[in-house]
Amino acid sequence: MSIQVENISKQYGSFTALANVSLTIGNGELVALLGPSGSGKTTLLRIIAGLESPDDGSVLLHGEESTQHQASKRGIGFVFQHYALFRHMTIFENISFGLRVQSRQLRPSRQIIRNRVQELLHLVQLESYARMYPEQLSGGQRQRVALARALAVKPRVLLLDEPFSALDAKVRKELRDWLRRIHDELHVTTVLVTHDQEEALEVADRVAILNQGRLEQIGTPQSIYDNPASPFVYNFLGNVNLFHGRLLAALSPEEHKDSTENSAIGFVRPHELELSRNLPSDWKAVVAKVIRIHAAGPQIRLELSIAGNGKSVTAEMGRTQFDELALVLGDEIFVRPQSIRLFDDVNSKALLLDQGAGI
Amino acid sequence: MSGRLAIPSSAILQPSAQQRAGRVALILLALLFLAAFLVLPVVAVFTQALSQGWVMYRDSVRQEDVLSALRLTGLVACIAVPLNVVFGIAASWAITRFEFHGKSLLITLIDIPLAVSPVVAGMMYVEVFGFHGWLGPWLSERNLHVIFAVPGIVLATIFVTFPFVARELIPFMQAQESDEEVAAVVLGANGWNVFWRVTLPNIKWALLYGTILAASRSIGEFGAVSVVSGHIRGQTTTLPLEVEMLYNEYSFTAAFAAASLLTLAAIVTLVLKKAIEVTSGVHQHIEEEKS
Repeated sequence: MSIQVENISKQYGSFTALANVSLTIGNGELVALLGPSGSGKTTLLRIIAGLESPDDGSVLLHGEESTQHQASKRGIGFVFQHYALFRHMTIFENISFGLRVQSRQLRPSRQIIRNRVQELLHLVQLESYARMYPEQLSGGQRQRVALARALAVKPRVLLLDEPFSALDAKVRKELRDWLRRIHDELHVTTVLVTHDQEEALEVADRVAILNQGRLEQIGTPQSIYDNPASPFVYNFLGNVNLFHGRLLAALSPEEHKDSTENSAIGFVRPHELELSRNLPSDWKAVVAKVIRIHAAGPQIRLELSIAGNGKSVTAEMGRTQFDELALVLGDEIFVRPQSIRLFDDVNSKALLLDQGAGI
Repeated sequence: MSGRLAIPSSAILQPSAQQRAGRVALILLALLFLAAFLVLPVVAVFTQALSQGWVMYRDSVRQEDVLSALRLTGLVACIAVPLNVVFGIAASWAITRFEFHGKSLLITLIDIPLAVSPVVAGMMYVEVFGFHGWLGPWLSERNLHVIFAVPGIVLATIFVTFPFVARELIPFMQAQESDEEVAAVVLGANGWNVFWRVTLPNIKWALLYGTILAASRSIGEFGAVSVVSGHIRGQTTTLPLEVEMLYNEYSFTAAFAAASLLTLAAIVTLVLKKAIEVTSGVHQHIEEEKS
């Protein structure tokens, strides 16, 4: 089922939770709402669920205006950050709850309920836990039960509110992969709220980035990683080096006539910094000193201090390249960006640059 | 949330001899105080009650007036306590699950019976429902008796036991996240199902705890009931009033025999209260959530 969010605004007193947000989620798609805390992502999810009502705008589920529909009538499955399992019920009772509370005419027979629960227990790989209580399960198991409970009523939309953030890193990663597999199996339209950019980029078909109640960018993980639309998105997705500078005449002039006099910010990802022992032939490089080396893991991370202004930047490279350069602490080395992305410092507009230029 | 810090015992400083002496002195002081002001009086009640022997005690308790007072006390508790359970649940649900104007006013209002002297509470009811009160003429036209009758006693008891259930439930329900209820709603449960299947099982121990406190107070209430009762023997006399009347008539043994019943009720309450605390961890739970 598709979800259309149209011009949603929500205000809590003087705090703007959402400001005119619109987005469309296709049938069977898995979309992550990503943003820092206070960005409005959970509010948006709760509005889609019908647990909050927007001040303005509308929610369409499968093309049908649903803004006024009650949460219980929307056909959604909701998974909470802290599981929200019914603590006095067994796992079986938890999962079957949504079926058991249906009105008499709709309620399936006991046998059907039992089969459905067995099926779901199998799906979440917890067959032998039916008679246990939530407190006897680990966090990861509880969240799997919560997902099974949400799926029991065959929801048309699955909404997950930071489902893995209360779990430790290893379990989080396992569950993330597992969620993706389940999604590929069931194809339920899914919205996942998270503040973990790695989680969003890894699991989702598309990622919507929210900041201060506004939708900053929406796109496939690769497209938003490669082409961040704003300095915020650049900063939010992974490590980045930031350079301030004045724009010179290196721009395509027509498009940015008004901004050529402004100062600009340039972003370079750590792996886009090219390091070499020799001055490149075009002379476009700066000298920097190695002040720290993080050598644990497949990628080596170096902290460099640029000679002249003392600004520190981070560079990343593979182990092979690192071994070739044979760097040690205190070495001086030539650094240059292979690519740089510029934004106007005042209005945050993206600026196009013909090629990697000097800083 | 398990907010307890595990502190290795070696990390706690060993007390010096002086500190130890201070600790012993404090404990002794507390015990002496308890003995003088709580244990001795309770012992005295039973000693007096049984001073003329067991047979006399039994006969005192089985006097028609005492039995009638006992029945009335039971009746009043049976009406006042369930009403306050219903009100307490409704108020705590509203306060902990919804945002509305006047919420803090409601919380303050719930506490009024704890702040007002019960005598004043009784007088307020006399002023409203009494023969010369605001509603008095209207009521007497219809031959309805509130003051100096059982309804007045029930009203006064409801007033003084008003806060117990709500005050027990509010912090407990605040500490519990409402996520379980939201989850039930999303799964299609209606309000009735959410309450009976999710909320009530979660609050049952706190509810029972508050109910016992309210019951205990309603059995023991004296001041407010005294004002509205009229002290008609065998009709509007509750057990605490009967005790006072017997005492004023110099029937000391009978007075203490009746008083011993109230004391027993109090002891039963304490035991039940403790039992609930142990089996459910109600209060422990609240404190952990707060820390």
